[in-house]
Amino acid sequence: MSEIDTGYFNYYERSLMFHGSLVNIMGTKFDIIIIGKTNNESEEIWIRIEQELRRLNFMMNRIDPASEISKINSQSINNEFKVSDEMWCILNNCKYYHEQTLGLFDITLKDFNTIQFNKRNKTISFSKSNIQLDLGGYAKGYGLKKIQKILEAYNIDQCFVNFGNSSILGIGNHPFGDAWKVSIENPFNINTIVDEISKSNASLSVSGNTPSYSRHVVIPKSGKSEVDNKLVSVLMHDPLDAEVLSTAFLIASKIEREQLIDRFRIIKAREYKL
Amino acid sequence: MPNRQKEVDMSLRQFIKDLGYISGGATILAGMPWLQSFTPEKAKEIKKEKARIGFIGTGSRGQYSIHAVSAIAHADIVAICDNYSPNLQAASKLCPNAKKYTDYRKLLESSDIDGVIISTPLYLHAPMILDALSAGKHVFCEKSMALTMDECKAIYDAYQDTDRVLYFCMQRMFDEKYIKGIQMIHDGLIGDIVGERCYWFRNHDWRRPIPSPQLERQINWRLYWDYSAGLMTELASHQLEVCCWAKQLVPESVMGMGDTVFWKDGREVYDSVNLIYKYSDGVKINYESLISNKFNGMEDQILGSKGTMNLATGVYYLENEIDRNKSGIEQLISQIGNKVYSSVPTAGASWRPETQDKYTSHQILSGKFNINQGQSMIGALKDGSDEILSAFCQACITGEKGDNIVEEAYQATTLCLLGNEAIKEGKKIFFPEEYKIPYMKF
Repeated sequence: MSEIDTGYFNYYERSLMFHGSLVNIMGTKFDIIIIGKTNNESEEIWIRIEQELRRLNFMMNRIDPASEISKINSQSINNEFKVSDEMWCILNNCKYYHEQTLGLFDITLKDFNTIQFNKRNKTISFSKSNIQLDLGGYAKGYGLKKIQKILEAYNIDQCFVNFGNSSILGIGNHPFGDAWKVSIENPFNINTIVDEISKSNASLSVSGNTPSYSRHVVIPKSGKSEVDNKLVSVLMHDPLDAEVLSTAFLIASKIEREQLIDRFRIIKAREYKL
Repeated sequence: MPNRQKEVDMSLRQFIKDLGYISGGATILAGMPWLQSFTPEKAKEIKKEKARIGFIGTGSRGQYSIHAVSAIAHADIVAICDNYSPNLQAASKLCPNAKKYTDYRKLLESSDIDGVIISTPLYLHAPMILDALSAGKHVFCEKSMALTMDECKAIYDAYQDTDRVLYFCMQRMFDEKYIKGIQMIHDGLIGDIVGERCYWFRNHDWRRPIPSPQLERQINWRLYWDYSAGLMTELASHQLEVCCWAKQLVPESVMGMGDTVFWKDGREVYDSVNLIYKYSDGVKINYESLISNKFNGMEDQILGSKGTMNLATGVYYLENEIDRNKSGIEQLISQIGNKVYSSVPTAGASWRPETQDKYTSHQILSGKFNINQGQSMIGALKDGSDEILSAFCQACITGEKGDNIVEEAYQATTLCLLGNEAIKEGKKIFFPEEYKIPYMKF
């Protein structure tokens, strides 16, 4: 069971442009614009993308008791829970990011070290009872990376993907420009722009507090929420890296940021005080 | 006083005159015939004459109207009447030269009075109006028309047989923003009317202090069925009148619910009502009134296929202007379609649902205008009340009847009463044949 509304798509013959859209996917909206393909080719790609997003939405939705992440959360406390191969890779990838971001990225939001990995059986267990995994800071980036692979398989060289405004992937360039240009809105004053970013074959991730969605980023070390009214944008080639790094940057100290810049291939990272 | 008179009275007169200079102005006036004679020229014509006015009922609303009529150059207040001494004394201070009465029938016997203004509890409207018309007086009465369907019909029938003027205080008919807004609707600005939503919210118990328990029903008459029809006749009547005016039809049926949800102080009338009126073409009026929460205030909203008209607040919104506020992805699609390359405002910390804030509001009238917040029990400034009183006083001099005013009041009041009947019976009520008048189109 998932909370996905029926998506819709449209083809603009004159511009050889396809637009596909899904609402209520991973708690947000997904839009893709594919340039230069026929209607039939675009629809075929869209079907693949839609299926993939629905699959991931189900797997990572911790509200849905039937999802794999929910089962992990409910059955891994002091118990070895066998996870799928894909989830094994995801959780190990989260472990890698946890280490590389100096503990700033943490899917437990508390103490990543309470997750015990058993490589032989691909099982995990929680050594404490109050641990829950939350892939909210990971899922959209992972989804974008999967979609990026689908697009590569179909030789798409001009495409714009917007996953909930906070994760945006640009492949190739705008049909009438040399890149894709997006501007970042101030969520506390929607008519003002805080930055404009041009990108080609790169992914932009934006994190921060908004008036309606504040204190959602938890600082794992303190257990407290980030309360400052600020945004962080991170532009990277890899959409998953960008997703993880934007959250980490938001709560990182100045020294930690410098270390993150050394460790990751960041094209551009900025902070905006609102 | 003269300065205020000029301000109050001439504004609408000039507005009506100006209609003569704009394209379609004649059509507008033809559609709102009660405004035909309310012109600057007519004001000049009657400049030296004065209507002799008697007030029946000098409580808070009566005193409000005394203030207004005192400022009208073509009116003199010659008599006042109230059977509640404090009200009569208060009114006497406002117009010390007026003769005082405690029995309205005695006032009606006076040959020195041209017209009477009735501001009494609803249950007294019918006997007082009928007596006043019989006595040969021109009559202005507060809304609603009367307490029962039979009384409304009796008044309507009496009006058909008299040459006297009869006005009801349907002040929205004299409110510039309503006049202009309805004209815009009839000109097709918001397309076909597809729905109407009216609401009136207050947070007040609707009570007045009483000097002794014996006077409870006399003073707090609004709270008891024998004296009042509650929220429907006190508030909804104005709004249902506007709905019919905009739609140019009368609903053929109504269903509703009413309850006392908060002010459980022994009152009989509801403090919460929700009703649906349905026109023959399926369009509905959704009506809601609640007097224990004032957050939403008051609005008369006409929903069209091409836009929305908020008449009470004097603004409208157009559906096709959404294009100006397209989401980032929509702008990008539009850019590519038009071979344009520029930045799209799409990035942010989270996705914002597309809500009504992307509509642009437009004022119905240019410049400053008054908005009735709907919170006063007595009346609001510049809501058309002063203008309709001025028009009545003018009619007392000229003897010209105000076209459609009685008919509009009749249909608004009967709809309110039918709404209460639907609530009480818990079923859908159709407009009864015996109460239909030729003016009504269903």
